[in-house]
Parts: sequence; structure tokens; C-alpha cells
Amino acid sequence: MSIIKADKVNYDYLEYGDDGETAEVTHAVKDVSLNIQPGQFIAILGHNGSGKSTLAKHMNALLVPTGGTMWVDKMDTHEDDEVWDIRQRAGMVFQNPDNQIVSSVVEEDVGFGPENLGVPTDEIWKRVDDSLQKTGMIAYRKHSPNKLSGGQKQRVAIAGVMAMKPKCIIMDEPTAMLDPNGRKEVIQAVRDLNRSEGVTVILITHYMEEVVFADNVFVMDEGRLVMQGTPREIFSHVDELHALRLDVPHVTQLAHALRKRGLDIPEGILSIDEFVDAIMKIYHRQQSEAAEAGTGAEEK
Amino acid sequence: MFKDITIGQYYPADSLLHKLDPRVKFIGTLIYIVSLFIFHTWGYVLGTVFLIAVIRLSKVPFGFMVRGLKAIWILLIFTMILNLFLTQGTIVWQFGILHITREGISTAAKMAIRLVYLIIGCSIMTLTTTPNKLTDAMEALFRPLKKVHVPVHEIAMMMSIALRFIPILMEETDKIKKAQMARGADFESGNVIQRVRAMVPILVPLFVSAFRRANDLALAMEARCYHGGEGRTQMRPLVYQARDYAAYMILFCYLAAAMLMRVLLHW
Amino acid sequence: MSIRLEHVTYTYSPGTAYEMHALKDVSLELPDGHFIGIIGHTGSGKSTLIQHLNGLMQPTSGHVYFNNEDIWGDKYDRRKLRFHVGLVFQYPEYQLFETDVITDVCFGPKNQGLSPEECRRRAEEALAQVGVDESLYGKSPFELSGGQKRRVAIAGVLAMNPDVLVLDEPTAGLDPMGRDEILDKVASLQKQRGITVVLVSHSMEDVAEYVDQLIVMNHGEKAYDAPPREVFAHYKELEKMGLAAPQMTYIMHALKDRGLDVDVHATTIGEAEESILHALGRK
Repeated sequence: MSIIKADKVNYDYLEYGDDGETAEVTHAVKDVSLNIQPGQFIAILGHNGSGKSTLAKHMNALLVPTGGTMWVDKMDTHEDDEVWDIRQRAGMVFQNPDNQIVSSVVEEDVGFGPENLGVPTDEIWKRVDDSLQKTGMIAYRKHSPNKLSGGQKQRVAIAGVMAMKPKCIIMDEPTAMLDPNGRKEVIQAVRDLNRSEGVTVILITHYMEEVVFADNVFVMDEGRLVMQGTPREIFSHVDELHALRLDVPHVTQLAHALRKRGLDIPEGILSIDEFVDAIMKIYHRQQSEAAEAGTGAEEK
Repeated sequence: MFKDITIGQYYPADSLLHKLDPRVKFIGTLIYIVSLFIFHTWGYVLGTVFLIAVIRLSKVPFGFMVRGLKAIWILLIFTMILNLFLTQGTIVWQFGILHITREGISTAAKMAIRLVYLIIGCSIMTLTTTPNKLTDAMEALFRPLKKVHVPVHEIAMMMSIALRFIPILMEETDKIKKAQMARGADFESGNVIQRVRAMVPILVPLFVSAFRRANDLALAMEARCYHGGEGRTQMRPLVYQARDYAAYMILFCYLAAAMLMRVLLHW
Repeated sequence: MSIRLEHVTYTYSPGTAYEMHALKDVSLELPDGHFIGIIGHTGSGKSTLIQHLNGLMQPTSGHVYFNNEDIWGDKYDRRKLRFHVGLVFQYPEYQLFETDVITDVCFGPKNQGLSPEECRRRAEEALAQVGVDESLYGKSPFELSGGQKRRVAIAGVLAMNPDVLVLDEPTAGLDPMGRDEILDKVASLQKQRGITVVLVSHSMEDVAEYVDQLIVMNHGEKAYDAPPREVFAHYKELEKMGLAAPQMTYIMHALKDRGLDVDVHATTIGEAEESILHALGRK
């Protein structure tokens, strides 16, 4: 039973010219169909303008398809009276850490969601404590968000979403504005939550290193879903990804370059360890082949 | 640097005043201001005693109290001089065309005291109450206005969001200013008109940014199921304690005493 | 046209409870025509450092020299300095304000006191160099995409024809192709105009690929100042500073540890490729 199901989703919008009359249609999402199972860690990849963020906003009914249907936990996002339930089940963390924090005290911001849901006061505090613990931000509960780093702010945002007890969290480029340490912090926090709480994670990103941890990867281009598969499968297509204005981790690029030069390295290398193992295998094979050839020559 | 500045700076301490319900403090400040205008002459002694007692109870250092006065000291001196020299009545001092009357002295003194006490009184409220508590108090106190379609909850929400973003926008102003200076913008020289024109490269990006943030924040709030004040619960609901009722009693007595002094004793 | 810092120290809120030493006794030289990188953890003093290069910040102690002149000397015109040392801040698209692209890019030259024709000529040249098409000149900057806005903002600084161009994380928030495009344009600019380029970055890979001198800042002090290959040889120390070396460095060291005779100083994919093939005797 999918937690998110897109059935030929289309999203078009009109942009009016300066005269206010002529409208230009932009097809931001074209015929996207996909299924996401509960508990998975999904990545949606695409260059800026590929439609990935627009698609993400359909998953919590911030946008409604102009064609096709989006189902969130079996609820149709077209139904107005289901909207608030949908948004409770599917929480969202946005790109700009500052522009999603409402309150000037961390713990109060985490409680904002539960307050909106009408959760009783005592229960709100339980959830706030719990979420802050799980994202490692409990020590900062009384702090002003202004004094936190980007990574810490995003963790507060994640805690705020978790306090609503969602079934899945959609993260719309949450690390785009962070430094490398902040990025690590956030991805680690979200992976931990996925494993310990079983919450489905949908990560929209263009950072290739973040994608290697996913169970399944969707690649978007020009509003369409163009590739699907495990990270290894996706990263095997280095040249296609390049044509889609995407990149692969440097180690994968190196493996690909060496394969082109004749080395017998498997496709879809994802980590440094895999790469080093593959190279050493080739090296040792070479050594033993040379040794055999040597002994063969001696025998002759 | 700008991160530390908040409007009506809050001074954290563990005092009786800090623990009082913010509604009590809000109403108390209003009552105090009203009393300042009720008092005539000796009544101000009562006002002073009350103020000193409250300052002591707040455990806030006196230095913080008078900070607010720095902003208005010019206005203060100006008002005093005006009243001193322009009030008609029994002349007590004269030098050429300048004269000071007894009435002038008393009016100037009254004006000065009212202004100073007013500022200190308001400062005490903001020094002992966090901005969020203040907006909570105002939302609770003005709730009856909902019946006449005043959007009380929305206004309170707007105020607390504004408070949250003030330091952010101040920092952004600084960044934009530096970016324009890096392109040779000059904010120092020129006459008034030129300097105002020079602000455009700061104000336009700032406004655009503020709107962008507002848009982003609205989406984020909706994503967290915000749909207005209906059905919302509160993390920190305002509930009166015994000390709040006691405070209301004291305030009531104070106001009554002030009115008696004025009406019966003309103080 | 070189910049030199001598024993520069910068302290925020000196003498108060909030005192913070952002720069501690930093001395460095940015020689003419070089491509220099500055890296450091968040809070290492990078932003403070670059704002000293064009006189936006004044050292608490120490001196800053541009062409051997003390920029904080009597009567030194620091506003003029900023036409020679162009600084592009992070997310520069947030500074755009004019009604159309070309007018915004003319802002810098206008402040320089150039004639409208010259302003226009410089703006068009700068826009062409960052790859912004003529069709966008008349559009409002707010109509453009993120990447286009960024290029317009950079053109705004380029139009002043600075001798030194300082870029603070010019690729922040861009997608992989966007990053490549901007850095390639900057690199070709550097060669074409022969200007000095200072690149502040978090990406070790970017820095390894483009710069010939690398400065590492750590808690307000200058930790390293050498060509990238030399700096990345200290990758263990860099890690302790909260930085990393390029992925290649780790790969090469891992291979060497396993017995393959590779060049551990290779920092780019190209270098690693050649070194591995050579070690495997496949060249």
C-alpha cells in the first residue's frame, strides 16, 4: 500500500505578460506517475527547474494537480476537506532555514504544529520534548533560532514536523543553503529518523552524495520522470545524468573515466571503499596473471 | 551584532514581577499611566512610591530602566523649556523679555515627571515580559473584540512573527548596504534629497526580500496545518494564579487612592 | 595591483562581554593575476577577511595595503578602492534592485562617474562575459531564474572593471551544472582579463580544480598558505579543523595504503585517472 501515489500528475500554470492579458502556459509537471512505499528513504533528483520542487508540493497538497491525481495515504489531494489531514500525514521541511521558523524560541516553534492540530497542552509538551530529543536539539530548547547555525535550524524545523506525528516527511532541498557540516548534520538526522521511527523520507535534492543512502531514486527533467531505480542503477548512467545537467559523486566519475580507458571496473560505484576494492582486485589479478605468465615462461 | 537587539529589550531575572501574568502587567501599566494624569500635586508622591516599589520588585538594574530615557531626553528638555518660559501667571524671575512664572515651573515639572515616569513604567513592562507573552496577553485581553469582527488572533500572530523577523531583517539591511557599498554606493555624502535617493538600493531589495520571506513562511505555516485561530490550542495558556489576583487588588487600591487624592484632597 | 595584509587583527565588540576575535594576526599577500582560494570552517573568519580586502571593515590593528598604499591612511579614498577590488557577496542576487537588468548592472559604473554610453558598454560587456543573453537586458531582474539573477549580480561587479575580483561562495545554492558554468566563466575571465581572482569556497573539489594558491583559515588564524597540492597533503590536519580534502585525496591515500604506487598528491579526477593508470602499468 503506497503512502504516496502519483497517477499521471500534471501541473500547469499561467504566467501573465506585462500587459496583464497574454498568458504563457508553463507545464511544470508532465504525466508523472510514481509509487512510494511506507518506511522508505526516497530521493528525487533533478536540476533547478526540472519540476522536482513543484512535484514535492503536490505531496502535501500545497499544490493540486491540474491533471491526474495525487494520493497521500489513500487521500485524494483534490478533496478540500482532507487537506489538513493530508498535511498532518505528510510534513514538509523547506529550503530556507529562517523562513519556516515561526517563533522566537526553539521549543515554541516545535510546538506550533501541534498547537494548530488542537493537541492538548500537556501532550504538546510531550511531543516537543520527544522531537527535540530525536533530532539532538534538546539542549537548545530555550534558545532563539537566530543564534543557531543553518544545520541546527533545519533540525529544529524537522523536530517541528515530527511533533505532528506524520507518516512521511518531504524535504524540499533542505541542505541547499547549508555548509558541508550542516548538510551532514541534517542528512544524518533524517536517516536516523527514517530508521528508528520508520517515517518515510522523501528527499528532494541535487547533491549526489546525499542520494547514495536512498532505497529508491527518481530523476526528473523538464517536468517528467525520466529515470527510476536504486542509487547504484542510477549512477551507472553517468553520461545520461550529465546530459540531464546532473552529476555523480567524484568517485563514480573517476570509476567511469577509468572504465572508458579500458579498466574492468563495475558500473555504479558509490563509495570510496567500493572503488578501492575494485582497483585492488584489478591490480592483484594483474599481478597473478603476470606471475603465471612468468612461471609459464620459466617452465618453457 | 544586530542579533542581540530586541524591541523593548527583555531582561531575564527571577522576580515576582517576571512571574506575574502578562495581562496583569499590561493592565497595570495602563492604570499607572492613567494615574499619572489624575495626580495634581502631592499625588505624585504616591506615584513615585509605587514606581520605586515596582522597580525594586522587578530586580532589574536601574541602569536598564533609564535606557529608554536616552531616546527622549531632547524632547524632555525642549518641553520643559517651552513650559517654563511660555506659561503665563505669577512671575518669579525675569531677565529682559524672558520670564519664568510659578505656574510655568509647576507645569514644566509635571510634564517632566509624567514623561519620565511614563517611559519608565512602560520599560518595566517590556523588561519583565517577553515579547511573545505580551502578544499572548494582548490576544487574550482583546478577544472580546472578535465579536465586532476585529481579527484579534491574526493581529497577535502578525505581531509575534514581526518580532521574530526584526533581527533577521536588520541583519539583511546590513548585508545589502555592504553589497551596494561594494559597488561604490555612497550613503554618507550629499544633501537630504540625495541621501534619501541613495536609500533606494537598500530599500528595494529589502522589501523584495521581506515579501519573499513572508511568502515562504506562509507556505511553511500552511504545511504545518495553520488555518487561523479556530481550533488552536496553546502551549502556554495564560492562567491566573493567586499572586495575579493579589496584584489586581493592589492596583485597584492604588487607582482608588489616586482618584480619592485628586477628588477629595486636590492632590 | 596586489593586496597585502600585515598582522591584521579584527575584534568584534572589543572590551565587552560579547568580545570575539574574528581575525588574529593575519598576514598574507595576494599577488597580481593569480587565482587564489580561501577555505575555512564556518566562523573561521573568511567573511571578515574578505571584507577587509576592499575596506568595508577596518582592522582593529594591523595594516592593509593595496598597491603598497595603506588603505586606512589619511585621505585614502576607500570608495574608489572598491572599484578596483570588486567584492561579490554570497547570494548576490539579493542586491538587485533596478527596474531592468541593464540598468542594475550600470549601477557600479555609474557610481564610478562614467558617461552613460560608457556605463552601457561596460554593462553589456560584463553581461556577455557571464553569459547573459541580450534578450534579458530589458527584463526586470525579479523575473529571472535564480541562476540568471546570480550572473546579473556578478556582472554588476564586473562592470566596474576591477583589478581584483573577490567571490564569496559564488556557487552556493546552485545545481551541479550551474556550479560548473559559473566557475568556468570565472576561470576564463581570469585568463582573459588577467585579473586576480579570490574564491571563497566550501567545496574542496572546486578549489582543487581552479586555484593556484590556497589559504586555509582556522579560528581566525591563517593555517596554510600554499598551492593546493601541498595544502591537501595535510588532509588529516584539515579534518581536525572541520574541513575535508577532495575525495581524490582520500582515494589516492587509500590505494597507496593498500600497496598501489600512486601519486597521493593528485587532487582532481584527471590527475587521479592518470596516476592510477600509470601505477597499473596501463599508460
